[in-house]
Amino acid sequence: MTQILVVEDELHLAEGLRFNLEAEGYQVRVVETGEAALDILQAPEAPVDVVVLDVMLPGKDGFAVMSELRQAGQFVPTLMLTARGHPEDILKGFAAGADDYLAKPFELAILLARLRGLLRRRDWLRTPVNHTVAKPQPTDTFTFGDKSVHFDLLELHVRDQIFPLTLMEANLLRYLIQHEGRPVSRKAMLEEVWGLHEDTDTRAIDNFIVRLRRYIEDEPARPRHLLTVRGVGYRFVAAPAAAK
Amino acid sequence: MITAGRRKSIAFYIAFGIGLILVILILYFGWVQLNWRHGALLILGILLLIIIISGVILNTISLVREIHRNEQKDAFINAVTHELKTPVASIRLYLETLQTRAVDEEKRKEFYRIMLDDSDRLLATIEQVLRTGRMGAAGRGLNLVRIDLGPLVEECVTRTRALHRIPPEAITFRPGAPVNIMADLEEVRAAVSNLIENAVKYSGKDVNVHVDTEQADGYVLMRVKDAGVGIPKTELKRVFKRFHRVPGPLASRVKGTGLGLYIVRSVAKRHGGRAWAESEGAGRGSTFFLKLPVAK
Repeated sequence: MTQILVVEDELHLAEGLRFNLEAEGYQVRVVETGEAALDILQAPEAPVDVVVLDVMLPGKDGFAVMSELRQAGQFVPTLMLTARGHPEDILKGFAAGADDYLAKPFELAILLARLRGLLRRRDWLRTPVNHTVAKPQPTDTFTFGDKSVHFDLLELHVRDQIFPLTLMEANLLRYLIQHEGRPVSRKAMLEEVWGLHEDTDTRAIDNFIVRLRRYIEDEPARPRHLLTVRGVGYRFVAAPAAAK
Repeated sequence: MITAGRRKSIAFYIAFGIGLILVILILYFGWVQLNWRHGALLILGILLLIIIISGVILNTISLVREIHRNEQKDAFINAVTHELKTPVASIRLYLETLQTRAVDEEKRKEFYRIMLDDSDRLLATIEQVLRTGRMGAAGRGLNLVRIDLGPLVEECVTRTRALHRIPPEAITFRPGAPVNIMADLEEVRAAVSNLIENAVKYSGKDVNVHVDTEQADGYVLMRVKDAGVGIPKTELKRVFKRFHRVPGPLASRVKGTGLGLYIVRSVAKRHGGRAWAESEGAGRGSTFFLKLPVAK
């Protein structure tokens, strides 16, 4: 059964979320502090499939909890939920390593859809891992130039350096690689990778691209693999022509 | 991060002020070297020097103050945003739940109760913000009537008990002899209930609050004693400032706008009384006092 951890100190909200998530068939655990959430999530084999994380928590706030988890190598899909809906707060959330961000007050249906989206992609990412268990040969890896993306390990290897990827970074990269050589619109990325069908602000994507470029480009300011397509979106090129 | 940024900007302005003063002093001593023979000019120079230096100092102080005030305002807006949006988010969540799901009778009643609580919380925040606005507005007179403080405190205690669902023994009230004060009923009620609410809010799970009133030399004194988080010595005065919230983890567990005690103090002042706090320090409970003059 899918386990959801809700980190929320406002008991009314927490109980409302619990009721709805249980009605959707999930198993729900509610904790009130960031410290309690860290304890649960840093335990080996934490039985949590997705986390709903509030920002304004007593003690450690949501941003601190988020970055601490990611630094500790806990890449559980996480949706941050907060009353602070300013662009800088949203960007701070994503920078801390959140996979999704929703401002309060939120629409229940949208929250549920986003959680389903996170779970769907987690399963999608997990499937290749199961394949490797069955057949040891093919691994879920894509190599270009001196770089290789290990989707099953959520790692990017650049020469002898290893960068950990978040789930959303890996998903976005996978999507771009699947459309290698073709331009991909921001809207398509939002729909296919994030599972959103609304007019969401697309700047979050640009932020992801900036981070990906930092990993895979030798000179992030002059990208050769992850190219901007003016007015459309981005294009991934595995083997760019030799530098002029 | 915020405090680091603030220290930096304050440090910059202080350094800038000191730097300017040094430049002036150097220029001045150079000038004295050249003109020391002219007595009248020397005195004029000293006077101008004092004026310039005090100007720079005043300017620096007001800049630092302004930075501080801006920060408090930011923190206040954050807190109010949270206090306004959280209950709305909760009410909305329950309404959507009731609208889209089959909810049994018992749960439905619980949901209604939660929504009512949230609307109370929302209303309380709105009232505090509006009340603060009214207090800031100049020329608004008090609507003075003769009231007995005892029953008013009793009413606030009962209301707080009901609101937080706490047993009667958790908040005790020992009224003194009946005594009338001339006061604006609305304002004094707000002040009294803010003090009692605070005592409960900052008590954590084990609420143990004692309220009493007594009369002493022309004043009636209300005391609210709790066994809660306490207040560090340095914060005892500051807690009454507008938007001020005690920094550190103990108090930040409790959410608020930083207006409650400001309202208490303003009400006390407008009625010719006083409000203050005593505490043995963090973690050792605190006592709040509200002193109002007895009606003649």
